[in-house]
Amino acid sequence: MPLEAFRPSEPLTLGVELELQLVNPTSYDLADAASDMLHLLARSRFPGDVKPEITESMIEVATDVQRNHDELLAQLRRIRDALVAAGARLNVAVCGGGTHPFQRWFNQRIFSKPRFKEISALYGYLAKQFTVFGQHVHVGCASADEALYLLHALNRYLPHFIALSASSPYSQGVDTLFDSARLNSVFAFPLSGRAPFLLEWAAFEAYFAKMEKTGVVKSMKDFYWDIRPKPEFGTIELRVGDTPLTVEHAAALACYLQALCRHLLARAEPPPREDDYLVYNYNRFQACRFGLDGVIVHPRSHDSLSLREDILATLESIGPQAEALGSRAALEGIRAVAAREGNDAGYLRRQHAQAGSVEGVVDAAIRCFKEGKTT
Amino acid sequence: MPEAVTVLLREIAWPFALLLAWAAGELGQRWLRLPRISSYGIVGFLLAAGQAGVLPALSGGPMALLANVAFGLILFELGYRINLGWLRANPWLGVTSLVEAGGAFAAVLAVALAFAVPLLPALLLAALSMATSPAAVLRVANELRSSGQVTERTLHLAAFNCVLALIVFKVVVGYGLLLSDGGILRALWGSLVTLAVSAGLGALFGVAVPWLLRRLGGIDRNATLAFAVAVLALTALAHALKFSPLLATLAFGIVARHRRVVLSQAQRNFGTLGDLLTILLFVFVAATIDWRQAAAGAWLALAVIAARLLAKTAATTLFAGIGGISWRKGGLTGLALTPLSVFAVLLLEQTRHLGLGQLDQLEALMAMVLLLEVVGPIVTQRALIWAGEAARREGA
Repeated sequence: MPLEAFRPSEPLTLGVELELQLVNPTSYDLADAASDMLHLLARSRFPGDVKPEITESMIEVATDVQRNHDELLAQLRRIRDALVAAGARLNVAVCGGGTHPFQRWFNQRIFSKPRFKEISALYGYLAKQFTVFGQHVHVGCASADEALYLLHALNRYLPHFIALSASSPYSQGVDTLFDSARLNSVFAFPLSGRAPFLLEWAAFEAYFAKMEKTGVVKSMKDFYWDIRPKPEFGTIELRVGDTPLTVEHAAALACYLQALCRHLLARAEPPPREDDYLVYNYNRFQACRFGLDGVIVHPRSHDSLSLREDILATLESIGPQAEALGSRAALEGIRAVAAREGNDAGYLRRQHAQAGSVEGVVDAAIRCFKEGKTT
Repeated sequence: MPEAVTVLLREIAWPFALLLAWAAGELGQRWLRLPRISSYGIVGFLLAAGQAGVLPALSGGPMALLANVAFGLILFELGYRINLGWLRANPWLGVTSLVEAGGAFAAVLAVALAFAVPLLPALLLAALSMATSPAAVLRVANELRSSGQVTERTLHLAAFNCVLALIVFKVVVGYGLLLSDGGILRALWGSLVTLAVSAGLGALFGVAVPWLLRRLGGIDRNATLAFAVAVLALTALAHALKFSPLLATLAFGIVARHRRVVLSQAQRNFGTLGDLLTILLFVFVAATIDWRQAAAGAWLALAVIAARLLAKTAATTLFAGIGGISWRKGGLTGLALTPLSVFAVLLLEQTRHLGLGQLDQLEALMAMVLLLEVVGPIVTQRALIWAGEAARREGA
C-alpha cells in the first residue's frame, strides 16, 4: 500500500493524544481495566476520543483539532473529568507519568485486537515492555513540504520537550536515574529514532516505497520515530514527550510546540541540514538522563548549553509568537517549570522521599491527575 | 492393628495429609486445571474420620485454632483489598450487595421451609447461605492473577456478604438462645455486642499496627511479617474471648488499608506461609464433613445451592448495567460468588460452645459445604476466565 497523500490542514492547529495509566487504587499496581473503562465510557458521549492501547492497563485519549490554549485546556479538562468519574465507578484510578514505577512488564496483558496481537507476536517481550505512556502532539501543516521542513527544523529543540515533560524516573521498582526512562523503552525498537533527512515529499514517498518493498514496514505506524509526518491528518506528530502528571502541563507543552513551530515557519532560523543530526542522539540522551540539568551541544556553533538556559532563552525569543497565538499563560507555565519548579520527574522523586515507597509515588500521581499539582 | 502403629499413624496423620493435599493440588492443577483448593478439599474429605478414618476426629483443639488463623490471614488480605470509597462513588454496588445477600437469604429460607426444615435451622441455613467463601474467591483470583471488574466486584461483594451473613447469623443465634433460655441479656450478648466488639477490636489493630510500623520505619520490609503476626495475635485473642475472629480480622484488614500502609505485590497471600496455611485450612474444613450426614441432606442441599445461585446471579445481573458493567460481566460476577464452605464451617465451629442443639441437624449444610468446597472454586475459576480477566499466557 503506497503512502497516503498528504492532506493539507490549517497550519498550527493542535491535537493532543495522551496515553494514560489505569491503576488499582488499593495495590497501586497497574489494573487490566481498559475493556471495562471503554465499555462504560461508550455509554455516554465522551468529550474527545478514547481508544485502547497495546496493553489492558493503558488507555489513550485524544482531543479534537484545537486552535488555541484556552480551548485545548478546556477540552483536556473535560476529558480528564470524564475519565476520573468513570474510573470512580469502576474502582480504577487514572494517572499520567511516562512509566508505572513498579509494574512488572511480564504481568501485562495484551489488549485483544488483531494489530496488538501481531505486534506482540513480532516484538515479544518488547511489546510488553512497551507499557509506557507518552504524549503525542500533532501540529497542522499547510503542505507536505512544510511538514518535512518543520519536522527537521525541530531537531534542535527536541531535547526541550523531553526534559520538560520527563515524568518517568522509576521503572520496575527502582530509580533509573533517568528523568525519562520511558524513552529507553522506545529506543529498543528497530524503527525508532529520527526520520531520514528528506525535505521534499516526493523524496519521502520514494523512501517509504523502498522501505515497503523491503517488507520491513507496511504503514507509517511501523515507524516509531521521535517526530513523524501523519499524511492523512496533514500534521507532524511529536512523540518524545512522557505523559505529564497534569493535563494543564500537557496543554502548556503543546502550546510551547505550537509557538515554536510558528517561529520556525517564519524562517527565523537557518534551514535544517543533515549535519544537525550529528549531535542529535547525544542531546537526546542528555535530556533523558539529566532532564533540565542536561547539557546539550548546539548543532551549529558546537557550544555546550545548559538545557534549562536554552529553554528560558527560547521562551524569550518566541514570546511574540505566543502572544499572537493567545498562549501567554501556557508559556508562563513552561517558564515556571524550567526556572523554578522543575519537571515531573523531580516532583515524583520528592514524593518518593516523602512517602518512602514507590506506591506512594503512584498515589501522588493519581492525586495530581485528579486535582492538579499541589506543591 | 497393634496399638503402637495406631499411635504412630495418629501422630503423623495431619502432616502427611497436608503433603498429600499439596501433591494433589499441584497435579490437579496441571492435569485438569482444577483450582488447587478444590483438590485440597477432596483430599481432606476422603481422609476424614467419617470416610477413610485416617485423620482423627476433631472438635476444637489446636487444628481449629490454626484453621482460624489461616482464615484470619485470608480475611485480612481480603479486607485489605476493600475500598470503602467505592461504595460512595458507586452506590449501586452497595445496592447490589444488599439485594444479592438478601435475595439469597430469602430464597434459601423459602426452599428450606418447603423441605419442612424447622424454622430455626432454616433461618441459620439461610443466614449462612448469604456468604461467599472469601478464602475460595481470593485464592482463585490470586491463582489466576486475574484483574478486572468481575474480580474486583466479586471480592468486594464477598467481603460485604460475609459481614451481612455474620450479622444475620448472630441475630438468628440470639433469637435461638432467646427461645431456648429466655435470657434476653445473654441473647443480646451472644449476638450484636459480640459483633460490635469484634469489629472494634479489629479496627483497633488496624490503627495500632500501621502506627507501630510507621514509628519503626522500613515499611517495605516489615509489613508482611508484622501483619501476619498481628493476625495471629488477633485471632487467638478473639478466639479466647469468644468474640468473632472472622469479623475482627476482616475489620483489621479494611482499617489497615485505609491507614495506607501498602503491601507490595510479592506479599500477596502472605507468601509461602499463606500457601501452607491454606492447605491446612481447606483440608481441615473438608475433614469436618461426614459422608453419612452429607448424604442425608443431599437433596435439600442441591435445591438450596440452586436457589442461592439464582438469587445471587439475578441480583448481580439486574444491577450490572446501572452499576457500570455489561450484563455478561454482571452475570459472571454472580457465578463467581458461588463458593461457600469455609466461612460457614468456621462460623458453626465457633457457635458450638453456645450449646444450640439444632446446629448439628444442619445436614443439608454439610452436603452443601461438601459440594461447594470442590465445585465452588471451579465455578469461580471459570467465571473469571470467561470474563477474560485471568492472566493469559501469550501464545498458549
